[in-house]
Amino acid sequence: MSDIDIKRISYLAKLKLPSEKEEFYSNSLKDIIKWVDNLKKVDTSKIEPLHNVTEKTVSIRNDEVSKSNSVDDVLSNAPERAQNFFKVPKVVE
Amino acid sequence: MKNSISQIKKDLIEKKISVSELYDEYLAKAKSGNNNSFNLVIDRENNISSINESQNRYDSGNPLLLDGIPLGIKDLFCTKGIRTTASSKILSNFIPNYESFVTQQLLNDGSIFIGKNNCDEFAMGSSNETSYFGPVINPWKNKNSQKDNLVPGGSSGGSAAAVAEGSCVASMGTDTGGSIRQPASLCGIVGLKPTFGSCSRWGIVAFASSLDQAGPLTNCVEDAAYILNSINKHDFNDSTSSNHQREDYLIDINNSLQKKIKIGIPSDYLEDVSDEILNQIDNTKKALSKHGIEFVDVEFKTTEYALSTYYILAPAEASSNLARYDGVRYGVREDGESLDDIYLNSRTKGFGDEVTRRILIGAYVLSAGYYDAYYRQAQKVRRLIKNDFQRILNEVDFILTPTTPNEAFKIGDKLDPISMYKNDIYTVPTSLAGLPGISIPSGLSKNGLPLGVQFIGNYFEEKTLLQLAALAEKELSFNE
Repeated sequence: MSDIDIKRISYLAKLKLPSEKEEFYSNSLKDIIKWVDNLKKVDTSKIEPLHNVTEKTVSIRNDEVSKSNSVDDVLSNAPERAQNFFKVPKVVE
Repeated sequence: MKNSISQIKKDLIEKKISVSELYDEYLAKAKSGNNNSFNLVIDRENNISSINESQNRYDSGNPLLLDGIPLGIKDLFCTKGIRTTASSKILSNFIPNYESFVTQQLLNDGSIFIGKNNCDEFAMGSSNETSYFGPVINPWKNKNSQKDNLVPGGSSGGSAAAVAEGSCVASMGTDTGGSIRQPASLCGIVGLKPTFGSCSRWGIVAFASSLDQAGPLTNCVEDAAYILNSINKHDFNDSTSSNHQREDYLIDINNSLQKKIKIGIPSDYLEDVSDEILNQIDNTKKALSKHGIEFVDVEFKTTEYALSTYYILAPAEASSNLARYDGVRYGVREDGESLDDIYLNSRTKGFGDEVTRRILIGAYVLSAGYYDAYYRQAQKVRRLIKNDFQRILNEVDFILTPTTPNEAFKIGDKLDPISMYKNDIYTVPTSLAGLPGISIPSGLSKNGLPLGVQFIGNYFEEKTLLQLAALAEKELSFNE
């Protein structure tokens, strides 16, 4: 197992770990990854990955128009809104 | 013995109690809040019209399946107009404008919600200690150490504690790797995880979508059948919801099983277990043998890989599912100068330690260079685990295992995540295989704490699983 680059992993997960906690998470991750490493010894060369455990045919509903949420419903939990939009700081200069 | 749903309905029909009086009894217990089993207790005013409508149906002689029955709902189910937090800071202000499929069925059948049960944050935990709203306390006490507060198990710990303390008749929980069965066992009640794909996941805050399944925590097996009759339905809004024909789980529940039954006991599960746990299996075996049920030893080949597989797949799915919490559309937003700062600050401050840990594990096993070695390999081993169960279920009708490796432990006792994860050793494999499992109380430990056994059945065969569990329950029942 290679070393865990905790800065890179937290960047991928959009988390900004406080510097005093980086070591805590880094060590914790190392322990857990080491613990799950036993899977590497299982021969799976002829095995397909399992995605949906019951492997039942996914049922497709008829394509019918139905009433769903209104704009106000959708925006009702928005931390900040402006008219019919979610509001965030300016993204494009 | 607490009243069963059928007994309560009988009392309501015979007017020994009114819907309103029944509700008030449970509401008062829920409000006392001694064990922190509720994140939110719903105000009486918000339930008054449901109470009156329910009473009217009793008065006119046409009560519904769950009419007037006070239920708890794990705070992971979206409930329309009622705060739904997943026990997380990041959702602590979230008020859904829709009702989850499962809770809608329960409302359609006349039940009345007492409140939202505390749980581990985003259902990640085995002790209910990761909740933003504080740990839930198990209503049971160690008789040799009365003042210790014990964990109720998790993640549906608030649900289990609420049923055990009598602040709701039953509670809806969710189970990803044992989150219904393990707390049910530690709190001395019944917990059923149905087959994956039985009960719609629509409107349940997602943790690991290939594993999450809703199910009831109840005082008795028959109550679990009541709830299952209500919630086990096909739903187009969940693409993994199975469209097979559902059975009536209640009818015939107390009848003897139709055919001769053979139950397998996995010898590899019982290596290294304590005598106390071993006794639960032996007692169950003895009790059921009297009914002509045959027991055989079976052996899994994949048990040692189950936890590793789970702790790759579940965090991977969680890291993907929890990407939606960004402080923009709903949930708590933390200040930031740029949009990116809002994302980073909201997520970092909004998630607790265990959730952060699992997001990081997930991000790692899904990242370039590690995806095939961890995530894809785990998905392949998952198929081997499923095949292993199918091999054994070709030889036997059911599998009997302990539910947990130990009794309820003290709050704060298990600090190391891996030792916490090992609590789910008997429930995780069933979840990976997607099979139904039910935990029923089987006896008390030397410390006077409840222990449970788990029966595992074949895909979508909840009906016979419940019949078997009802029979075992009669033989094993213990008084508090």
